[in-house]
Amino acid sequence: MMRGIPKLVGLLSAVAVLTTGVANAQTKSKLDEVLARGKLIVGTGSTNAPWHFIDQGGKLSGFDVDVAKIVAKALFDDPEKIEFVNQSSDSRIPNLTTNKVDMTCQFMTVTGGRAQQVEFTIPYYREGVGLLLLANGKYKSYQDLKAAGSKVVVSVLQNVYAEEMVRQALPEAKVDQYDSVDLIYQALNSNRADATATDQSALRWFMSQNPNRYLDAGYGWNPQTYACALKRGDQTWLNFVNTALHEAMTGVEFAAYAASFKKWFGVELPPPAIGFPVEFK
Amino acid sequence: MEFTQFLNELWIARGALWQGLQLTIAVSVLAIVLGTVLGLFVGMVLVYAWRPFKLLVRLYVDFIRGTPVFVLVLASFYILSVIGIQLTAFQAGVLAITVFCSSHVGEMVRGALQAIHRGQTEAAMAIGLTFRQTFQYVLMPQALRQILPTWVNAATEMVKASTLLSVIGVAELLLSTQQVISRNFLSLEFYFFAGLIYFVLNFSIERFGRHLERRLAVY
Repeated sequence: MMRGIPKLVGLLSAVAVLTTGVANAQTKSKLDEVLARGKLIVGTGSTNAPWHFIDQGGKLSGFDVDVAKIVAKALFDDPEKIEFVNQSSDSRIPNLTTNKVDMTCQFMTVTGGRAQQVEFTIPYYREGVGLLLLANGKYKSYQDLKAAGSKVVVSVLQNVYAEEMVRQALPEAKVDQYDSVDLIYQALNSNRADATATDQSALRWFMSQNPNRYLDAGYGWNPQTYACALKRGDQTWLNFVNTALHEAMTGVEFAAYAASFKKWFGVELPPPAIGFPVEFK
Repeated sequence: MEFTQFLNELWIARGALWQGLQLTIAVSVLAIVLGTVLGLFVGMVLVYAWRPFKLLVRLYVDFIRGTPVFVLVLASFYILSVIGIQLTAFQAGVLAITVFCSSHVGEMVRGALQAIHRGQTEAAMAIGLTFRQTFQYVLMPQALRQILPTWVNAATEMVKASTLLSVIGVAELLLSTQQVISRNFLSLEFYFFAGLIYFVLNFSIERFGRHLERRLAVY
């Protein structure tokens, strides 16, 4: 899920961009730098299952992590030649602009504003929003929620677009914004909210982790594209990462991509059609 | 059932939380020790140094004290990397809290030194002590005793400020807790547990401070 970038971080990174932009005009591509270094440095989070989280064994796992490993495999033929930099959602752009990471894969929603600050790769997932309900709660479906009008309280992850987004589905609902994903579920559990608006991916993951406790209200909306992001101004590096991701979704690495997709979202992907390239269908 | 689930998850997460706690302690101890040493120096400059130095350090203290720790943490992580100093998140975090700590300790030391009656310095000089001896044997022991209670308070503030390092990706106790919560969603239970640990940490510091105060009391 996307999160707003507080003005503070924005300002600091703006200062960073202004000063570095002039100082180190890139002569060599990041691609050469990464190859010479022998490992890929990827920024991602650690607190959002199933995207990037610490599993019970203490390992960073999730779909973002797997996508990053696909790029490492393309670089070194070894998905483990990778170093993850633990960063908050607010740090996604600043850590790129200040060269702390080569690439960020952290459920980052593609927006025009962000695309002015960083370079987005091709998408690797399309997210949408759904509504989670308590199985034994007052409301059982999207129709119930809509009928209840302004009596409904919806918890949602804090975000510039959060209120507007909820209102697209429930125009009269009261929207409570929370700072982290666990809190939006906590609001639902403690009856502070009647429904939780969250990403379909998170919703499915959460329901599978807590069988029989929750209901999906059965309504999805608000498409968002997730893509990895790179520092601006390096077409060679962008092309390389794009190629790696593209081949993961349509070519030689499809098996790895599909296995990860199944693991985290519970959905079996149909293999790309053989013959005429799927891109031109 | 909920409680046994929590205990079960706590057992699974024990390693991660223990590492988080160690990081919290490491950050706090480093920042408090380094910040106190730097702060003593800052305080002395504020009282005794040549006027331009004094002004410079006064500017530093006021600037740091007037800035939220959060901003200091972000600044030491991002701004420094722009001028070519690539600190790790841990180093940047320790630096930020150290600087913050030093400005507070500096003010305490200044206040304590200035609270000592001028007559004592004059008396010390009258019996032939050098400035250094006066400072070492007359002023500093009194000043340190004076700042101890406020210093303990500042130390607990540094422990709490260490939670801000989670923003730049230092997996201290708070971020480790958040990582565990993001896996099992037992947010109330684990935040409460983390709160308890922070309380125990700060309570220990406070008891230690009390103990020192009693040991060092002169009357």
